[in-house]
Amino acid sequence: MEQFNKKWLQRISSEPDPPKNIDRRTFLIRSGMALGSGALMGLLPLSCVRQATTEERKNFPKPGVATEYRHSICNHCSVGCGVIAEVQNGVWTGQEPDYDSPINLGAHCPKGASVRDHGFGYKRVKFPMKLENGAWKRLSWQQAIDQVGDRLLKIREESGPDAVFWCGSSKASNEGAYLQGKFAAFWGTNNVDNQARICHSTTVYGVSSTFGYGAMTNSYNDMHNCKAMLFLGSNAAEAHPVAMQHILRGKENGAKMIVVDPRFTRTAAHADIYARLRSGTDIPFLYGLLWHIFKNGWEDKEFIARRVWDMEDIRKEAEHWPPDVVENVTGVPKDKVYEIAKTMAQNRPSTVVWCMGVTQHHIGTSNTRLFCILQLALGNIGMSGGGANIFRGHDNVQGATDVGPNCHTLSCYYGLAEGAWQHWARVWDVDYEWLKSRFDMSQQYDGGGGKMDYTMNIPGIPVSRWIDGVLEDKANLSQRDNIRAVFFQGHAANSQTRGVEMKKALEKLDMLVISDPYPTHMSVMSDRKNDTYLLPTCTQFETCGSATASNRSLQWREKVIEPIYESKPDHVILYLLAKKLGFANEMFKNIKVTNDEPLIEDVLREINRGAWTIGYTGQSPERLKLHAKHRRTFNTTTLKAEGGPCNGEYYGLPWPCWGTPEMKHPGTPILYDPSKSVAEGGLVFRAAWGTDRNGQNLLAEGVYSKGSEIKTGYPEFTDALLKKMGWWDDLTPAEKKEAEGRNWKTDLSGGIQRVAIKHGCAPFGNGKARCQVWEYPDPIPIHREPLYTPRFDLVKKYPTFQDRKAFYRLPTRYESIQSVNHAIKYPLVFTSGRLVEYEGGGADTRSNRWLAKLRPEMFAEINPKDANDAGIFNGQYIWLEGAEGGRIKVRAMVTPRVGPGTVWTPFHFGGWFQGKDLYDKYPEGTAPYVRGEACNTATTYGYDAVTQMQETKATLCRITPA
Amino acid sequence: MNHISYILMVCALLMGPAACSYESRQTTVHEPGVYKGAKDPLLAQQKQQELIDRFKLVQTDR
Amino acid sequence: MARMKFLCDAERCINCNACVTACNNEHDVPWGINRRHVITLKDGESGEKSVSVACMHCTDAPCAAVCPVDCFYTTPDGIVLHDKDLCIGCGYCFYACPFGAPQFPEQGVFAARSKMDKCTFCAGGPLPDNSVEEYQKYGRNRIAEGKLPLCAEMCATKALLGGDGNIVSEIYIQRVTKRGGRPEAWGWETAYNFKSKKE
Ligand code: SF4
Ligand code: SF4
Ligand code: SF4
Repeated sequence: MEQFNKKWLQRISSEPDPPKNIDRRTFLIRSGMALGSGALMGLLPLSCVRQATTEERKNFPKPGVATEYRHSICNHCSVGCGVIAEVQNGVWTGQEPDYDSPINLGAHCPKGASVRDHGFGYKRVKFPMKLENGAWKRLSWQQAIDQVGDRLLKIREESGPDAVFWCGSSKASNEGAYLQGKFAAFWGTNNVDNQARICHSTTVYGVSSTFGYGAMTNSYNDMHNCKAMLFLGSNAAEAHPVAMQHILRGKENGAKMIVVDPRFTRTAAHADIYARLRSGTDIPFLYGLLWHIFKNGWEDKEFIARRVWDMEDIRKEAEHWPPDVVENVTGVPKDKVYEIAKTMAQNRPSTVVWCMGVTQHHIGTSNTRLFCILQLALGNIGMSGGGANIFRGHDNVQGATDVGPNCHTLSCYYGLAEGAWQHWARVWDVDYEWLKSRFDMSQQYDGGGGKMDYTMNIPGIPVSRWIDGVLEDKANLSQRDNIRAVFFQGHAANSQTRGVEMKKALEKLDMLVISDPYPTHMSVMSDRKNDTYLLPTCTQFETCGSATASNRSLQWREKVIEPIYESKPDHVILYLLAKKLGFANEMFKNIKVTNDEPLIEDVLREINRGAWTIGYTGQSPERLKLHAKHRRTFNTTTLKAEGGPCNGEYYGLPWPCWGTPEMKHPGTPILYDPSKSVAEGGLVFRAAWGTDRNGQNLLAEGVYSKGSEIKTGYPEFTDALLKKMGWWDDLTPAEKKEAEGRNWKTDLSGGIQRVAIKHGCAPFGNGKARCQVWEYPDPIPIHREPLYTPRFDLVKKYPTFQDRKAFYRLPTRYESIQSVNHAIKYPLVFTSGRLVEYEGGGADTRSNRWLAKLRPEMFAEINPKDANDAGIFNGQYIWLEGAEGGRIKVRAMVTPRVGPGTVWTPFHFGGWFQGKDLYDKYPEGTAPYVRGEACNTATTYGYDAVTQMQETKATLCRITPA
Repeated sequence: MNHISYILMVCALLMGPAACSYESRQTTVHEPGVYKGAKDPLLAQQKQQELIDRFKLVQTDR
Repeated sequence: MARMKFLCDAERCINCNACVTACNNEHDVPWGINRRHVITLKDGESGEKSVSVACMHCTDAPCAAVCPVDCFYTTPDGIVLHDKDLCIGCGYCFYACPFGAPQFPEQGVFAARSKMDKCTFCAGGPLPDNSVEEYQKYGRNRIAEGKLPLCAEMCATKALLGGDGNIVSEIYIQRVTKRGGRPEAWGWETAYNFKSKKE
């Protein structure tokens, strides 16, 4: 029992004054004293921490006090586990398992099991603060909003609206995220983004350009029905732990579980087959599988003929990847590749699961597309047990991707073209010309490839590149000036690459505003002395709203407790700021505002009114609340309600939930599944790319969803198509008025969708999935070596792209980096991943007492061989230096978990910078219990050629004893 | 100083069984397995069926 | 007579520590100790297996046999509890326990050992059920509320089962039968003299 393998890690070493055996009382006394005695807060009376201290003293369950039960959703990952909070007198005193939830059946991972700690928030930002000459100074909310607002207006005056970067969040609710996006639009810029950019943006692009929608096709629960499952670049046991409940149930039902990863993960520990591959070689590996599939005739020929376009070019490319070549490039032994191909082919339906191991590459979009293509070849899409089960990251990253702040599109994938703005202007009930006037209309800029446009129509600078928006010579930008101020609401900066340059960018900014429950690494990592604002912001437990889980189900969160300390929820902060900046009346025109708080339900109703593209229209607040209440009635495998008031509906109305709420569409549990009628949640592939290409038919042939009156492929529905079909008169007069001249995406009455579905048709048409995406740099996915590759010998054969001049408003480098052999100086592959106890940048989870206890230190996993070569022994401090010179000081964990030649670190740490603990820079009492080096201080350049996803999973480093 | 206190503490601990029991519990005579502590009110409760039902509600795969 | 047992199904346990965290949340276990631990065999290699371990509430509990102040008692449904007012923190039970369950929070400048703390099967201790005093000394008493251990109720994968031993083994045997392989009820032989499939 003594030699727990992590024993040496089991102490809280990074807290200068380790709070050993601190009971709740001393804890409070200590934090109270710290607050009262700190030099900066000397003036503050203890009462400034409001009831919080008294609350905390009462935070355990009291006998004889009435307990209320509130239902929320875990705010840590996309599984969407239900949380039951016990609340006594407004204090969160206990947590119970939500065994009624069909998603988690009461289970939690440690993050979910510890969310009650957010309700105490010892390490929270307790009131608005500002950095003045290097010292944190308390402000009132009014002062904070006024100062921030005045500065923003000044910057706008001098440099135009694009000089501000607005970072929203996948940790916000749908309503919060939607308002973050809308806010930027009303401010007049597309420089707005969220975590999705650096999480699954390549999935969204890759998958939507193949099938029609860029989301998980099935659900965690549906994995009970798989016969085989292939995990590549996914460590579900740590990243989506409660999903493992369903996965292991699937395995117990007989599914073969395959894990392919550079690291022998805890997920791999449960696999039937494990293969280690070199980071960044997913495409060769997948072609290796396809090579066997085609060679043995395992492909589903009928499925391909009827529902897939251009598999031929894939077959040709696969011929370049015979077993020897695949083994040489990927490192996976030949027979393993064969075994995996055979297992996937002979145990159908088989599914694939991927996460950031696949997405975070400079060829990430190609990676995700080839995954889809593998599933198309096997005929695994659109059926229970099959599908592309893409596990999203944050609790609401799916929702923030869908409705939230994105630099490349308005809400719900409408894009940035004039039509998109006009659609949303109608939904928002504002004048399009007025919206235009908010933007920089003085001049056009290079929107990419020399095509000139106004910034209103050019994708903004993405969150992965905001530092370049600050640092790049402004002559090279497709906007008027550099970014001069950033506003980060709910986003950790240590999750973005190139930390050393980020520090420079932070120091160059005129103003930095961080709206977050915790101060985050961003507030301390630079040597800024002034004009940094911290706005105390609520967690999702201090407000209500909906969140979209990975399986596209929307779940409603009740408010558990009132905002603690002086924090305010996202939507209130945005409202206050909009008011200050002068556009609150327009922005909240149809949203009720009481005491500066916009009504969340009204925000969702506005989303419902506009989100026709992806069917976020049927999920009214009332329906979501009903589902929450009757969640026990949903089947835990199909997610379908059996009896009760939600009978026949799918849990959380997984999108698309077509039409208006009154239409009562049940949601779509499995995308592109023609075995059900569209009205019952069936679907076909979307006809999103026209009807033909080079004389070939892009519409489905002889396949249609159950009950369809059109027995073959058809294009998207428009008013013209309805008329042509003779269905126009099925519309009511009111619907006719609205539908005239519009299509299924822009008809605000929902009539076109309703009538299409009435006739059994999918509003978005019935097309073929496509293997070739002609508008992308690589129409057929091909392998390109990472910019920092350990196999420089392969660069000639598999080179990267050419450098680009204007891509998301920025010059973007490829070839000029790859042309040097970096592996001479930096011989080891450097990759990163998840720990189960922490999440994202970790500011919240590392500030959680119960989680901090479990993972007190940052470390790097090193294979014994590499450790011996470098003279490093287990547990000692080492320097890990990234290929661009960023250095991090971490403990060595010598383990065979990683193969020789690969170093792995978790990415949740922050609060150290290049060997130095930044404890003193945090506002008093807010430093997280656990601090450590951010791995991204050492990561390097590299961005996806379609989405600007950052390359974190395949770069280079070297290690030396510290 | 600390050292002395430590020794005192150890002595106290050694004498603990006799010196430290605040109530008149007969702990000086060591009888393995014979409980000498306070009575737990929980023992009076009959919860068996309730707990079996709870188990089925919460811990099964459903 | 049915008795309470823990079983951790190693085929399901993913070493996620939710059980440990749930316990910390429920009882606010002090810094420096945990009532439950997840142990991993062959960490990072093929054959890696984890099980979650706390007090197993043994039949004929060895801790109780060695306690010099006889502070242990067993409830009729087999939960092993102790009286902290009696405990002298001697640590004998720690050496007797085959599972390393007893924990000793470090306290004070002398780092002298204080009262022993261990998993209570979420059944509190010998004080009025769910009183403030009971909570502060032993944590919450779920059994008195008709609930079962929170660690098991919140286990990420339902690997950890805690409840009536007969039902626990019934469910486990069902799983083993379904997926094939041999039953390996980790710790049961030591804790419950469990030799074969039948008890
Ligand atoms: S982090 Fe994910 S798996 Fe863990 S409890 Fe929360 S939602 Fe569930
Ligand atoms: S919660 Fe369950 S799966 Fe996770 S470590 Fe504990 S026993 Fe294992
Ligand atoms: S039964 Fe209760 S006290 Fe024991 S480990 Fe589980 S949660 Fe902790």
